[in-house]
Amino acid sequence: MDVAGVDGDHREFLDATLPYVDAVWQVARHVAHDGLDPEDLVQETYLRAYAAFGSFRGGNTRAWLAAICLNAARSEARRRRRRPMEVAGTLRDVVAGAGASEGEPDVADLVIAGLDAQQISRCMAKLAEPQRVCIALVDGAGLTAREAAEVLGCPRGTVLARLHRGRRRLAELLTDAGVSHGRP
Amino acid sequence: MDGHDSMLQAFLAGDLESASARRFDEHLLECEVCWRAVREDRAGRLAAQALRRQAPLGLTDRVAFAVEVAASARPQGLPANAQSRLGWRLAGGGTVVLGVLVTMLVLLPGVRGTPHMPAAVQAVAHYAQALAPPAGPGRSQTGGRQTTPAEVGRPLYVTADGQRIVLRTWRLGDTEAVVAVSGRPFPMPSGATASSGGGMAWSARIGRLGLYCLNGRTSELVAAPVPAAELPLLAAQLPPN
Repeated sequence: MDVAGVDGDHREFLDATLPYVDAVWQVARHVAHDGLDPEDLVQETYLRAYAAFGSFRGGNTRAWLAAICLNAARSEARRRRRRPMEVAGTLRDVVAGAGASEGEPDVADLVIAGLDAQQISRCMAKLAEPQRVCIALVDGAGLTAREAAEVLGCPRGTVLARLHRGRRRLAELLTDAGVSHGRP
Repeated sequence: MDGHDSMLQAFLAGDLESASARRFDEHLLECEVCWRAVREDRAGRLAAQALRRQAPLGLTDRVAFAVEVAASARPQGLPANAQSRLGWRLAGGGTVVLGVLVTMLVLLPGVRGTPHMPAAVQAVAHYAQALAPPAGPGRSQTGGRQTTPAEVGRPLYVTADGQRIVLRTWRLGDTEAVVAVSGRPFPMPSGATASSGGGMAWSARIGRLGLYCLNGRTSELVAAPVPAAELPLLAAQLPPN
């Protein structure tokens, strides 16, 4: 990207896109890998978006930014895998969660009561990427299934299927990690 | 995906019309497989939502700053009097408050600088453009009485084109200055004046800003809206980073 040739008013760009920092952040947290800092990914997303703002024809800015975030994450992952491994930074975003809950037999109730966020993160990381991305977009960033489909360039039904499989798989992984459904 | 799954997903997505949704509700009472699927879907959704965290304080400022640096990376170079959002924040009433610790990392292509203006120097200069000029017509206090420097705001962590930099803003009398420290030497921009005396590497002028780079174990770049002749004294009065 050569930002030197960018046209357009960066203030207009910031006015249009800064309200979605949080949504981009939610996506970045789930798709940043190989030691990539989610905050760096958010910034890279905005730099790319700024470079492309001149060709952005309006519409769903949040979905547009989410798509750029996904592409930036993929580009960075490819770049890093071609290079010697860098020392990964600390996982600053891991939240010191409450310990695994006890007593409630229903996994949903256990989740509500507050599962260990690190444990959930680990389980999320085990999901197939398409499922994880759909969950990040919909459950993380709050996109609708239709918006996620727009981001991913696939039918809404595909997003719904990936979401459902991903969520179920996540629930299974949490069960395997020691959270019991109680009743089968 | 069979029709059963299709109905289940439509139910979960809220796509079923009310009569169909009611029928599926009744079906759930009898079908353990579907009931389990619904519960697991809900559990997975809640788990994922439980991971939501508010964006870090300062991320918005960081993003805005990165975009502003990118916007300034135009062939014609930095504007002499950049009126940036950052400037509004920094210059308000002369009391600079960035307010947050920000880490900026220009990762992939990002800001690369130009042959005339290395990205690291450009980032520092852009940041320093927001400094308020010394009070009073054409004067500063750097050459006058000794004052105690006070740090303004909080550090800004920057990586420009792979070079990690810590930016701190100081006020000395009525003069504000940015001190950038890096483990790598700041590249000398074209038009800068090299010097071998006293550990000084180079000095340069960008618009109203004077830049003064000292190389030692670390590299320090001082940027302030003061005359070039005052920069060495100003740098000497600022605390070591």
